[in-house]
Formats: sequence, structure tokens, C-alpha cells
Amino acid sequence: MSKLLDPIPHHHSYGVLRHYATVLMATAPKKQETPAIREQRSLLRGINLRQNANAISPVAFNARRDFLVTAYESGQFLKAPEKKGEAAPNPMSDPAAMDGMMGMMKGNMMMMVPQTLIMGWINAFFSGFVVIRLPFPLTIKFKSMLQAGVATKDMDPQWMSSISWYVLCIFGLQSVFNYLLGSDNAASQTAQQMGQMGPGAGANMFGPGVDPDKQFQGEAENLSVLAHYYTLAGVEERLLKSLS
Amino acid sequence: MSSSLLHPPAHLSPSVALQLSQQAPAILQATPSSISSYSLSYLWSASETPELWTTYENLMLSCLRTGDEESAHLCLERLTARFGTDNEKLMALRGLFQEAVAQDDAALKKVLDEYEAILKRDPSNMPVSKRRVALLKTMNKIPDAITALNSFLDDSPTDAEAWTELADLYVSQGMYSQGIFALEEVLLVTPNAWNIHAKLGEVNYMAFKATSDQGSDKLLAESLRRFCRSIELCDDYLRGYYGLKLASNELLLALPQASRQKPDGSLPLPSQKTVGLLNQKATSKLSEIVRLNAAGDRGYQGYEKAEIIAAKELLNRESSKVVR
Repeated sequence: MSKLLDPIPHHHSYGVLRHYATVLMATAPKKQETPAIREQRSLLRGINLRQNANAISPVAFNARRDFLVTAYESGQFLKAPEKKGEAAPNPMSDPAAMDGMMGMMKGNMMMMVPQTLIMGWINAFFSGFVVIRLPFPLTIKFKSMLQAGVATKDMDPQWMSSISWYVLCIFGLQSVFNYLLGSDNAASQTAQQMGQMGPGAGANMFGPGVDPDKQFQGEAENLSVLAHYYTLAGVEERLLKSLS
Repeated sequence: MSSSLLHPPAHLSPSVALQLSQQAPAILQATPSSISSYSLSYLWSASETPELWTTYENLMLSCLRTGDEESAHLCLERLTARFGTDNEKLMALRGLFQEAVAQDDAALKKVLDEYEAILKRDPSNMPVSKRRVALLKTMNKIPDAITALNSFLDDSPTDAEAWTELADLYVSQGMYSQGIFALEEVLLVTPNAWNIHAKLGEVNYMAFKATSDQGSDKLLAESLRRFCRSIELCDDYLRGYYGLKLASNELLLALPQASRQKPDGSLPLPSQKTVGLLNQKATSKLSEIVRLNAAGDRGYQGYEKAEIIAAKELLNRESSKVVR
């Protein structure tokens, strides 16, 4: 690893290091058990039937609807049919959900710990330094932003303190990481923020805290009130009209 | 690297597959033999892309088709080096390789036993379950394959690929109504797949041909409408027009004797006039496609040769009947 880090200044190396540390510590996505897959896809089958019912004949639709509604109401597709009717388990007590949360925690720690350490280190060694003079004039309001840690009243805001320079680099190096590690690197802050906002809506549907039995009951109701229309009704007339 | 390597090779014509597998040694030499995300070179060498691994997979399948087992094995090795031996998809690919190089039934039986051992350890391994069905089909144990596929679909009822395969197996056994059911399930996942609509039309037509019951006219009308729908979804669809022609021919013969009673919940039979018009349209369109294809018109070259020949044959049969 040290060979890798040498030619790169320390801000870069820190990001690169963070990338690899995150990659190493990431938990592989947990494989789903067959009953869970069956539960999800059986529900999806009902949703598909509801959305695409027009493609099949009324006879075929009625048979499927009757089968699925009965099965949904009796809880036949649940991964734990004996638990039907019980309240949804607390997501905190579900080990699978805990795994996911631990993964997120680990990721956050990987970002936080080194950031705090380096910030403290920079603060201890470099506070009070002025490192750079910006090549353009600035108004007095920029003093607090650019001269953190330097308590001089009448220095021109063009001069920049080390702490401010550090903060600027941390936020400004995104494109450099993208270049070095590829755009989907783990040090990417945007990716991190996306992760915090929660996974996509698709995963949410079967997420922890949602009672599958309730979903099945809801879908059964949706199916039983669906008005069916067959696309093939009059298709020969439609086709003739469009061809002529 | 040709783009055809990035698509599943099932639809490739034999000549293209041969061409690809002839390129295999060159492609294998041009790509690095191993890519590690932890090595120094990772920083400046081109990073790995999903396309590379798709290429390896498709190249392997093409090589197996043309009998270049050496290159296929090399592809498999590289995929294994990257994803490990316990990757589900790779287990299936390795099985596929072993099936391809198997010399006799005993070797195939051994592969089957291996699949069953894997599935005993981990019943949720879907790629291997699918391979097992495919192998059962290869070994001509169709009823076993149907049973296995049904239990697979019980766990994963939204898998269009599996439903399509099940439909094929049922139709091969002459169980048309089960085949129709399976194809309807495919349509519930992909409602606008015109090839599946046409396929349903074909199976309905076959079911009509196989029965001589009172209600078989309904199957024929359904078949006609399915073909209409497939053409509605995809202009100039040769299979759709071919089926429309066949179905409307039969329906013109059957309609005069058909009982006009209102069927139970299904659509009424189409009128004689409509069917006649559809028949004319199908005939003119088929001859147009055949003519323009033969003339080398650029918009009409995508058809399969066999389908064009079949269409020509159908038109000739018809015209000779008129002459007589």
C-alpha cells in the first residue's frame, strides 16, 4: 500500500485509502432465502396481473384472479404463514435489517473517523498559518470563511489560512477522485449521500417494518374490484382500419 | 470487439457464432488475463467494465456452440478467477461447459447429479435450477423437466423466461391448454411482446388442429386475434402475417358451419367479411415482403431466410390452388 501512496499528496492518498478501506469493509449483500423470494414475487405476480390484465382473455383473467385472491387472503404465499395476523415485527429486532444498518454504520464510520483525526491533526499543527494568497481581490465578508483560525483584524481577505485551505481541498477534490478511481468510487461524497437517503423505492416496498400480509390483503382487494377489458376485443377491425 | 458479443448469443445465426469463436483467441489475447481491484496497476490501467465479463460469457457460449472447447475453458477460467467458484451464475456456466463437453449419457448423468447436490445444499440457487431443467430436457426427460420447472415457478412466478420454456415443453407434449396458460403468464409480465402474442396464436392454432370439438372455432378465432394483435404491435411482422393467413384460411372454411350461439364470456366469432379482408391483407403483405426481400430492399432484409422461404411456399401453394 505504501508504494501506492507515495507519489500522491496526502489529501489524495487519504481519499484513495478511504476508497479501499470502504471496499474492504463492505458487507456482501445478503442472499435472500427462497420463502422470502417466493413471497415477494407472488405479490409481484398479483401486481402484474392487475396492471397487464388486458392482455389475457376474461376467462383466463377470472381464473387467475380467483386463485390469487383466495391464496392472498389465506396467506398461502407468506414466508411464515403461521405468523399471519400478528403485528409486524420491530425492524430493530430483525437480524437481516440490522445487518443493513451495520453496513451503513460502518460506511459512515469510515468517513468520519479519518476525517476527524486529520482535522484535529491539521488544527493542532497548522492553526495560525497563512498559506496562500488568492490572485483576486475579495470583500471583507470573506474573512470569516477564508481566514478560520487566524485572529487578525486587518489582514486582507485575499490571504487564506491553512484550515480554510484544507476545507476547500476536501470538498474540491471530488473530480480528482473520480478521475483516479472511476466515477463510482466509495470515497465519492455524492454516492455516500445517496446511500443515506435510502435505497430505491423498489426495495422500500419489501423493506423492514412493512407487513407482507397487509400488502397481500390490499392487493387481493385491488384485484377483486378490477374492471377487466380485453385488448383483443375488436382487434381485427382496428387492424383493418390501420392497414387501409 | 464486435457489439454482437454484448448480446445473449442465443439468437445468433450459426455463421455469426462461428465468426465470433474464430476471433476468440485474438480477443482472449488482447484482454488482460486477470483484473484485480487491489493491485497497483488498477490505478492507471483501464478499469474493468461489466462489458468485459459479458463478453467473456458470450464468447464462451459461442465457442461451445462451434466446438472450440479450449477457448471456452479459458473464458470460464478467467470468469472464475474474477468471481470465485461459488458464484451462482458461474456454477451454472461451469455446468453448461461440462454438459457441452460430455461424451455420453453417463457423463450427462454425472453433471445432473452434481446439479442436484448443489441444489440440495442451496435450494435457492436459481441459475443452477434452470440449468437442471435444461439438462433434463436435453436428456429427453420432458415430464421431469416440467415438474422441476413447475416447482421453480412456484417459487418465482414472475420469471418470463421460465414460463416461456414451460410453454414450449407443454406444447411439445401436446398439452396445448397448459401451454396457453404458460404463455399468458409471460404476457402478464411483458404485455407488449408481439412475438409472444404470435406464439399464442400459433399454439391456439395447433390446439384447433388437434381437436375436432364443437368449441374449437373459438380457439381459431382467438388465434386469429392474437396474430392481429402481434401485427398491431409490430408492423411487417412476418410470423404474424403468416399466422394470420393460415388462421383466416381455416376460419373462412369453418365460419359458415359455426354455431352462432353466444359463447360463455369469450368474444363472439368475427364476421365472414372481416376475415376475408384480413386474409387479403395478409396475402398482399406476405407477397410484398417476399418480393422486396428478394429485390434486396434495405428495409426488408432483417427477416430470417427460413421464414421467407416458408412464406413463399405458402403463397405458391395458394396460387397453384387458384390455377387449378
